[in-house]
Amino acid sequence: MDRVKGPEFKQAESISLSFPKQIKLNNDVDLYYLDEVKDDSVKLEFSWTAGTKYAKDKLIASFTNKLLFSGTADRTAREISEEVDFYGGYLQKNIDKDHAGFTIYCLNENVSTIFKIVSKVLANCTFPVEELDKERTIALEQFKIDSEKVKNLCRRRFNAGLFGEESAYGRIVENADFEEVSKSNVEAFYKDFYQNNRPTIFLCGKVDDSFIEDLREWSSQFSSGEKANTVSLDEQQTGEFHSEQEGAIQSAIRIGCRMFDKKHPDYFGFQLLNTVLGGYFGSRLMANIREDKGYTYGIGSSLAVMEDAAYFFIATEVGSEVREAAINEVFKELQKLQDEAIPEDELNRVKNYMFGEFLRQSDGSLAMMECFKNIYFNQLQESYYSDFFKALHKFTAADLQQLAQKYFQKNKMIVMSVG
Amino acid sequence: MIEFEKFELENGLRVIFHQDVTTPIAVVNIIYDVGARDEDPNRTGFAHLFEHLMFGGSKNIPNYDSPLQLAGGECNAFTNNDITNYYDTLPVQNLETAMWLESDRMLELAFTPKSLEVQRNVVIEEFKQRYLNQPYGDVWLELRPLIYKEHPYNWATIGKNIDHIANATMEEVKDFFYTHYGPQNAVLVVGGNTTREEVEELAKKWFGPIPKRDKQERNISPEPKQLEERRKKIEREVPANAMYLAFRMGSRLTEDHYLGDLCSDILAGGKSSRMYHELVVKSRLFSNISAYITGGWEDGLFVVSGQLSEGVSFEEGEKAVWKQLKNMANEEIAQRELQKVKNKFKTSKVFSEQSLMSRVLKIAMFELMGKLGQINDELSNYDTINGSQIQEFASRTFIKENSNLLLIQRKNG
Repeated sequence: MDRVKGPEFKQAESISLSFPKQIKLNNDVDLYYLDEVKDDSVKLEFSWTAGTKYAKDKLIASFTNKLLFSGTADRTAREISEEVDFYGGYLQKNIDKDHAGFTIYCLNENVSTIFKIVSKVLANCTFPVEELDKERTIALEQFKIDSEKVKNLCRRRFNAGLFGEESAYGRIVENADFEEVSKSNVEAFYKDFYQNNRPTIFLCGKVDDSFIEDLREWSSQFSSGEKANTVSLDEQQTGEFHSEQEGAIQSAIRIGCRMFDKKHPDYFGFQLLNTVLGGYFGSRLMANIREDKGYTYGIGSSLAVMEDAAYFFIATEVGSEVREAAINEVFKELQKLQDEAIPEDELNRVKNYMFGEFLRQSDGSLAMMECFKNIYFNQLQESYYSDFFKALHKFTAADLQQLAQKYFQKNKMIVMSVG
Repeated sequence: MIEFEKFELENGLRVIFHQDVTTPIAVVNIIYDVGARDEDPNRTGFAHLFEHLMFGGSKNIPNYDSPLQLAGGECNAFTNNDITNYYDTLPVQNLETAMWLESDRMLELAFTPKSLEVQRNVVIEEFKQRYLNQPYGDVWLELRPLIYKEHPYNWATIGKNIDHIANATMEEVKDFFYTHYGPQNAVLVVGGNTTREEVEELAKKWFGPIPKRDKQERNISPEPKQLEERRKKIEREVPANAMYLAFRMGSRLTEDHYLGDLCSDILAGGKSSRMYHELVVKSRLFSNISAYITGGWEDGLFVVSGQLSEGVSFEEGEKAVWKQLKNMANEEIAQRELQKVKNKFKTSKVFSEQSLMSRVLKIAMFELMGKLGQINDELSNYDTINGSQIQEFASRTFIKENSNLLLIQRKNG
């Protein structure tokens, strides 16, 4: 037994993914159904092209989403929640910049009952004013709390710098915007983007055929096609911006630039490079700024891809007194990846870590559905994951150095700090 | 139904195997019977600092993470007042790598001065990020000493005071390790598509040679029964006034745990709950409200917390909360309302046991609590509870002499 060298290991060679089967419901509504589930759980998700970018005014899309089950002519919000709860259901609303909808979590014995309750309410929602006012108060209070945190302020300003304050991807919400949300705006958005818009359905769980028929019947009500809306983007700002926040003992920092989407030929290589830089616990940024300098509890980098834009960013919170030093160290790491080839053992380690990460992220039916959604929403090839796997094997240190030189240029970055 | 097989090594390490043939990932989990409750009152935050040091290299392996990542693995850990838990997930064919790594740091840490210096700083930044630089972040730093006068639940896992961490010496670190991190004080749980034979062979190979160390008897003085109402008001830069009302109750190991859990769901679990409806929707005294139990292994707390709406006084808010708590004790609970919270528990249990990681962790926790044999009884523990038991729980728990109230007043300006 060699305690210094350790046992032999093998890297993961491939991943086996089960994708859902596609079922065409009425009016071209697609149901993606994965029934390889070991237990009685059901996750049923409905997604519309109704994210924040589709609303002309700020907050309208998110309030519409919040209020989808706020009441009908004969049922109050509380009665609706009580019924769903009684059948052991969890109803979660989802929204991001591009998509919005809701998810039901329950046991298969109750899925049909819960869906009947939920679908009836959704079709007859009256958006009561008192519910709107209540949500307004709650959301504003939460927004105020979030606005006390330097990391949120930093993220908002960073996005505005990336995409422009006029852009649906960069606009900044203010307290006063909450007052502007009106019942009529919400109703109009609901009509355009939920009622007259096809949802996509993702179902994970073992259900009876009759439930698929329930969904088929329900899908008849959605008449028109998907909404197209390409977000307008300003030119990205570059350079350093700092905003002083009185009393803050930490500064939040974001550094980054606009980037390509998942279909770009450099995407796989860039993901590998990003993992080396800041994509895992042993990354260059963590090793230097947390483990060597002790400036922070955590630092990471990532590539965020939306429908009409994507960006690369590094994010951290550091002691306010070491803000400048931390920013310098980040740029040193970016420079180092341009100047020096990544040592072979480090590159191997990162590749193997990523192979393991693929296994972790595709473990179980819920995870596999998430992998499928990634392919579906980003319009990728079905072979995306195996292509990624194969591509990873091939990259050399020289390839990555070239990518770093191409994409890590300091003069193309925006540096935002608050604190 | 969670199945498992258990055996013990000669050095006292308990090993449990949980098979799952459906996943390519294996989990190696080690729980150590040490938490913030085991700290010296003048050296708090140590268990948690120690969790960080466990990644700073061991006797034969200078860096914990690199070999694990090379084998496609990932790891993390957490500390609470009762326990410290470490876990690794990696492709099942590389299971042995995790056994090697975990065993070496149980054998002996590297104790390098650089690691201690850096992790001290990292923990201080964690303290700032999680407790000081967030609105309401320091609530538990205030509440714990209000509630606990004798018991070490008096301090939070991060510690009472940043100086305790800043002043930690290498001698103290070594002492803490040899006292708490031996095989007799740990439970190893391995989950995945492997066999008991393989797990037993690997456990004996890597963990077997670790010398047995003395089992430290825990000698914690219990917190005496609370006999008077306690209140404290603090001023902070927060967006809204807030109140935290905490009641002492039985620990995770008592029936109170299940009673309190259902009771908190009836009161504030989701939008159909009583408090949400009465205090957030109807009277709008609060912009949010929640109720939960802390589940401490030595002593439990039932907590109601909420943020007051603009212009509402603390007195009004307090009165309204108490009214709901008293109703809980005095009014019969409708059958349907009770069934509702039980049904929700049933669903969440199925989802929570989907991942191998969470099953393995649950096994480790139950073994350390001394309740492994009852791990599959949780559903019936909830199901057999009736309304009058919850009323009885409410009437003996929700009383002034058992209450601790922390008010957070918004600082103007």
